[in-house]
Amino acid sequence: MSASNVTREQWIELFQLAGLDEAMMHKWHREFERRYPAQHQSFLQWIGLSAEDILSVRKFSQAG
Amino acid sequence: MYTVGQLGKLIGLSRSALLYYDEIGLLSPSARSSSGYRLYSEGDVQRMERIMTYRDVGLSLDVIGRLLQADEASAPAVLERHLQKVSEEIARLRQQQRVIARLLGDAQALGKSRSMTKDQWIALLASTGLNEEGMDKWHMEFEKMSPVAHQDFLESLGIPLEEIALIRQFAKQKAIDSDG
Repeated sequence: MSASNVTREQWIELFQLAGLDEAMMHKWHREFERRYPAQHQSFLQWIGLSAEDILSVRKFSQAG
Repeated sequence: MYTVGQLGKLIGLSRSALLYYDEIGLLSPSARSSSGYRLYSEGDVQRMERIMTYRDVGLSLDVIGRLLQADEASAPAVLERHLQKVSEEIARLRQQQRVIARLLGDAQALGKSRSMTKDQWIALLASTGLNEEGMDKWHMEFEKMSPVAHQDFLESLGIPLEEIALIRQFAKQKAIDSDG
């Protein structure tokens, strides 16, 4: 992981610190997937998720 | 006079290499001892040193052999040809270097293809119900956690560098204020 990235865990921590609860984070993924699917994909790559994990996050986001 | 072992030590080559050089006629000892051992003269050592020099510049044993046989006049031509080959090889490697750099550039560009705008990003965060105060907090925590990643992320949103500097300055100040 290069220094210019944050990990998935760090990103979740950031969102929690900013005041997002689990429901808000889910909403965020859902909106991200609905509005900008390609950017959602590359964002998930940026925080270091495996291809498999990305797929399951995006599926979950589409499920609503 | 030097034995195979002595010459090998002197120039840093293995015994088997020296025997091979003898076999292919590149360097044969000028003499044999009464019991048949190879004996190398000073002249052989000098020849061997030339061989080592040519080896160091990457000439094949075959070419070295021809070069040693050639008269003084034709030696430069052989070396010129070799120089030409080396230059071509460098050009080929440079080309490879360019292609690899371009591929790496593409890979990095792919990583940056998050390419949302700042407004899109803010709207996305707002859609969760996060208010402005929460977003400020987010910047503050991001700056605290990883200044480099914060910078990288803001750049990916296409925000001008001066504005990024202001955002980060604001985030740092907010962190100081909240700690104090």
